[in-house]
Amino acid sequence: MSSWLDYTINGLIVGNVYALVAVGLALIFGVSRLINFAQGSIYLVGAYIGWVAVVQLHTPLPLTIIFVAVVAALVGVIIERFGLRPLQNSVRIAPLLATIGISFVLDQLVMLTFSPNPRALPSQLPDVRFQVGGGTIGPLDLLIAGVGISSALLLFVFLRYSKLGWAVRAASQDRDAAMQMGVDVNRVNQAVFGIAAALGGVSGLLVGMYYNQIDTAMSLQATLKGVVAEVVGGAGNVPGAVVGSLLLGLVESYGVAVFGTSYRNLFAFLLLVVVLVLRPNGLFASARQAPPEPLTGTFIAPSRPVRIPRWALAVAVAAFAILPLLPVSFYILQTLINAWLLGMLALSLTLVAGTIGQVSLGHAALLAIGAYTSALLSLTLSVPVGLAIVAGGLMSAALGTILISPSFRLRGHYVSIATLAIGEIVSLVILNWESVTRGPIGISGIPPLSLFGYDLISPNSVYWFSFAVMVVLALLQARLLGSHLGRSFRAIRDDDIAARAYGLSLNRYKSLAFIFGGFAAGVSGGIAAHLYSYINHETFNTQQSILALTVVILGGLGNVVGAIVGAVALVGLPEVFRIAAEYRILIYGIVLLLLVRFRPQGLLGTI
Amino acid sequence: MTTGTPEPLLALSDINTFYGQAQVHFDLSITVGRGHIVCLLGGNASGKSTTMKIILGLVKPRSGEVMFDGASLIGLTTPQIVRRGIASVPEARRLFADMSVRENILMGAFVRNDRDAVAQDLDRMLTLFPKLGQRLSQRAGSLSGGEQQMVAMARALMSRPRLIVMDEPTMGLSPLYVDRVLELIRTINQEGVSVFMVEQNASLALEIAHEAYVLQTGRIVLSGPARTLKDDPRVRDAYLGGSEAA
Ligand SMILES: Nc1ncnc2c1ncn2[C@@H]1O[C@H](COP(=O)(O)OP(=O)(O)O)[C@@H](O)[C@H]1O
Ligand SMILES: [Mg+2]
Repeated sequence: MSSWLDYTINGLIVGNVYALVAVGLALIFGVSRLINFAQGSIYLVGAYIGWVAVVQLHTPLPLTIIFVAVVAALVGVIIERFGLRPLQNSVRIAPLLATIGISFVLDQLVMLTFSPNPRALPSQLPDVRFQVGGGTIGPLDLLIAGVGISSALLLFVFLRYSKLGWAVRAASQDRDAAMQMGVDVNRVNQAVFGIAAALGGVSGLLVGMYYNQIDTAMSLQATLKGVVAEVVGGAGNVPGAVVGSLLLGLVESYGVAVFGTSYRNLFAFLLLVVVLVLRPNGLFASARQAPPEPLTGTFIAPSRPVRIPRWALAVAVAAFAILPLLPVSFYILQTLINAWLLGMLALSLTLVAGTIGQVSLGHAALLAIGAYTSALLSLTLSVPVGLAIVAGGLMSAALGTILISPSFRLRGHYVSIATLAIGEIVSLVILNWESVTRGPIGISGIPPLSLFGYDLISPNSVYWFSFAVMVVLALLQARLLGSHLGRSFRAIRDDDIAARAYGLSLNRYKSLAFIFGGFAAGVSGGIAAHLYSYINHETFNTQQSILALTVVILGGLGNVVGAIVGAVALVGLPEVFRIAAEYRILIYGIVLLLLVRFRPQGLLGTI
Repeated sequence: MTTGTPEPLLALSDINTFYGQAQVHFDLSITVGRGHIVCLLGGNASGKSTTMKIILGLVKPRSGEVMFDGASLIGLTTPQIVRRGIASVPEARRLFADMSVRENILMGAFVRNDRDAVAQDLDRMLTLFPKLGQRLSQRAGSLSGGEQQMVAMARALMSRPRLIVMDEPTMGLSPLYVDRVLELIRTINQEGVSVFMVEQNASLALEIAHEAYVLQTGRIVLSGPARTLKDDPRVRDAYLGGSEAA
C-alpha cells in the first residue's frame, strides 16, 4: 500500500531519531572510549519528561523541546559526575558496568514513577499529511528532520568554533596531549555527557510523539539502535554516527517493507554483527586509525580470593542437601531452586566473563537455546526429559559457540556489544521462526522434569535434582580451572597479545570456554523449561543476562564458589527482606553500581 | 637555600616513582636554573619519559618534591601545572592528527584568553617556523615527522611558557631537521624560555645544553655543566663515540 518513497521517508525520519542517540554515543566514546549503555535510559527519561510537559504542564512545543533537553542534560551531567568520574582509575570494565547499572536504576525509577503501562504522548502538531511525489509527509516528519539537522549544525558549530568544542575534539584525539595543553578532561567529559543526554532526551520525546506512545521498554531498544548506528559509522566518529543512523533507518524500513514488522530489529542486529566482524572500525574509519581501544589497564580488579577450606564447602553442600528433610517451607525451597538455576547460569558467565575475560551481555540466549531444544525434543519427539536437558546443554554449547565465534577477534567493550546483539538475534529468530518455535505463541504443555521414567514433581525432588546438577557442574568447572586450561584462560584475559605471543591459540581457548559455559547455561535453561511448562521468546531476556552479570561480579569474577554464593545472595536476600517484586531490578542495579565502585573484586574475590 | 645562588626555576628532589611494584626512579634530584637548557641523558627505559610525566603531573611520584618557581607542583592536575607556565613537546610529538596545523598551534594557547595577543603570537610562530605557513590548513597527521616537530614546538610556545619540557625532540628526524630543531631550541632559549629536554642522542644535546644529568635505570649517575660532561670519559664511553648504540 505504502510506496517506496514512503518507506524511504520513514527510514530517514527514524534514522534522524537514531542519529540523535548515536551522535551522543559517538561523542562519549570519542572522549572516554566508553560505550554508554545508559544512553537509552536518558532517551526514556526524555520521553517521560516530555509527557509531563505536554500532558500536565501544557507547554507549547518549542518550550517542551527545550525543557526536555535541559532536564536530560542535567541527568547526563549527574551521571558523569557521580557515576563515572569516581571510576577514573578503576579497572577497564568498571565504567561499562556502571553505565549498565545506571541504566537499570533509571529505567526502574521511571517505571516506578509512571507505571509500566504505555502512555500516549500527543505531538501537539496538526495531523495533516502532504503529498510529495508518490509519498506523503506530515508536520511531525518535518519537525524531526528539522531538529535532526539543526542539532547537527549546532554541534558542528560548537565543535568547530567554541573553545570547549576544540577541547572536546582535542581530547578525543589524544587525551594526554590535550591535558598537556591545559584542557581539563573532566570538564570536557561533563560537557560531552550533557550534550549527549540533551540530544538523547529530545530523541526520546520525538519518538514518543512519532508513535504517539511511550513505555519503559523503549530504553534498551534505543541503546541498542544507537550503538548499532554508532558502531556502523565507526565508534567515536560523529559524522559517521549520523550516516550510520540514516543507513540503519533505511535498512530497517526497507526490511520491514519486504519481510514485515517483526523483522525490523533483526536487520539492525545483523547489520551490527556484519559490520563488527568485517569492519570493526566502522564503515568510514580511515585506514590511519588503529582500532579505538577501549580503556586500558587491568581487566578485572586484582585481588586475593577468599580461601574457603574444602571441609567447609563439603559441610555447606551437605547442609543444603539435607535441607528439604528439615521442616522448611515450600517457599524457601522454591527460592533456592531459582538460586540453583541462576547459579548454573552464573557458573557459565563467570567462566566466560571472569576467567577468559569476554564480558557477555547476551547470556540469556544460551538459556533460551537450551530451553527450546529440551522442550521441543521432549514434546515433539518424546525424548526422555533427562536426555532432552542434556541435549539442550549440548545444543547451547554448540550453537552458542558457533554464533559467537565470528566475534572472537573483538576485544573489550566490542565483545559486550556483539554478545548483546547475538542475544537479541537469538530471541528474534525464536520469535520469527514460527514453524519450529511457534513464534509469539510460545511453547506450552512442556512435560515436567523426570529422570529414568520417574516424574520429579515434588518440590523436594526438583530441589535435589537442580542442586545436584549445579554441584556437579561446579565441580567440573573447578577441575577445569585447576588444570593448565585455567591458566591459559587467565593468560588470555590478562594480556591477549602476550598470550598469543606465547603460542596460545585464542580462538581455541575462547571456543573451549564458550562450549563449557554454553553447556552449563543450556542445562539451566532446559531445567527451567520443564519447570515452568511454558516458555516464549521473552522468557529469557536481557534483564536475566544483566542479573547474571551482577551475580558474577558480586561473587567475584572467575570465582566458582562466588558465582553460587552470588546467586543465593541476589535471589535470596530480596525474599528475606520481602522486597516487592517491582523494586528488585532497581535493587540489582544499585548493587551493581555499589559493587563496581566500592568492591570490584566482589565478595569472595576475583581469580 | 644559600643566598647568592638564585633559586632554580624547577627543582625535583628525592623523587621515587613506581609503576605497580616496579620502581622507576630512585631518589632522583634535578634542578633547572632560570634561563638554562638542561638535558637529561639516558638509555632506553632508564626513566626519562617518566621524569617528564612527573613534572607535568601525568604520573604521581610516591615520594619527593617538585618545586616550580618556588611553589610545589605536587597534588596539582596537569592543566593546573600547564597554567603555571610549563609547556611540553611530548614524546613522538602527539599532535592532534585530525585537526589542522593552525588548530594544533592554537590549541597551545588553550589556557590563554587574550585573543589579539594570541593572533600576534601565531604570526610570530610563522616567522620562527616559516615552513608551516603553507601548511596551516592541512591535517596535522599528514605532515612529515620534521614538520610535525615544528608544529609541536610552535604549539608549546603558544602558551608563553616559562619552561618547556621536551621528550626526545630529535627522535626519528632526518639529520637536516635534527640540526634545525637544535638551533630552534637555542633560539627559544635565548628569548628567555628555560628548557628541560630528555635525549638519547647525547653528543647533540650536549652541544646546546648548559647542564646535563645522566640517568641509569632510575638513578642519576653523573651531572654537571654540559661542557665538562662532554669531555667526561664515562659519558663518552656510554653515549658518545663507538658505543653510541648503548
Ligand atoms: N605506564 C606504565 N606502566 C608500567 N610501566 C611503565 C609505564 N611507563 C613506563 N614504564 C616502564 O618504566 C620504565 C621507564 O620508562 P620510561 O620513563 O618511558 O623510560 P625512557 O623514556 O627512559 O625510555 C620502563 O621499564 C618502562 O617499561
Ligand atoms: Mg622515553
